[in-house]
Amino acid sequence: MQIAEHREGATTVAALEGRLDTATAPTTEEKIISLLDQGAVIVDMTGVRYVSSAGLRVLLKAAKQARTRNTGFSVCSLQPAVREVFEISGFDKIIPSYATRAEALAAA
Amino acid sequence: MDTTVLRHEMPPEVDGLPVLLDRLEAFAEATGIAPRAAQHLALVTEELAANVAMHARGASMLRVEVRHEDDGLHLLIEDDGPEFDPLSAATPDLGAGVEERDIGGLGVHFVRSLTRSAHYERQDGLNRLSALLDAR
Repeated sequence: MQIAEHREGATTVAALEGRLDTATAPTTEEKIISLLDQGAVIVDMTGVRYVSSAGLRVLLKAAKQARTRNTGFSVCSLQPAVREVFEISGFDKIIPSYATRAEALAAA
Repeated sequence: MDTTVLRHEMPPEVDGLPVLLDRLEAFAEATGIAPRAAQHLALVTEELAANVAMHARGASMLRVEVRHEDDGLHLLIEDDGPEFDPLSAATPDLGAGVEERDIGGLGVHFVRSLTRSAHYERQDGLNRLSALLDAR
């Protein structure tokens, strides 16, 4: 998993590239949680074509952390296969998701 | 009848999962499985294999077989760990909010949602999970 960070004002955009699965979940989780120390985080999923339940666990944990710290957390640019996984799991209702990075930033 | 088969044996370790996913992707491409069906196959296989890799204490081998037969994908996953039926896990509360939401059981929920059928049996000291998925 490759993670590129961009600062956009008070928000960090973390652009993921690769599979978000059992093998990549631990390092990805560590990175996203550490980024939440600096403020709101948007995870850009343009480069993620596959997410399993281990990957969803990472996003849920980040969303819970953000809530505890009273900061923002959202995802954007889900690929169709990833969107389907969000829908089957009900995650589309619990994690804010935006079609584009610009929309996510506007809402941050 | 047109049949192609993928067989993959690995130690039941998380480190081995990326290679398994790579092989499933290559198999799907080579045998003309539709992209969405290939995603479902990868997801169901990973959830079941990860379950063995993370929870089956004492297991020494994990075997995956996929048979592409006409419009169906027959998946068989075997391991020599202690007897365990992954399909016995409860479905998570999909309506719970972010605070209450627990991640447990989501993997098996994917298995149930994305397969036409799934069946567990214990045979000759092995856990055998077979499932049928769409290839189109």
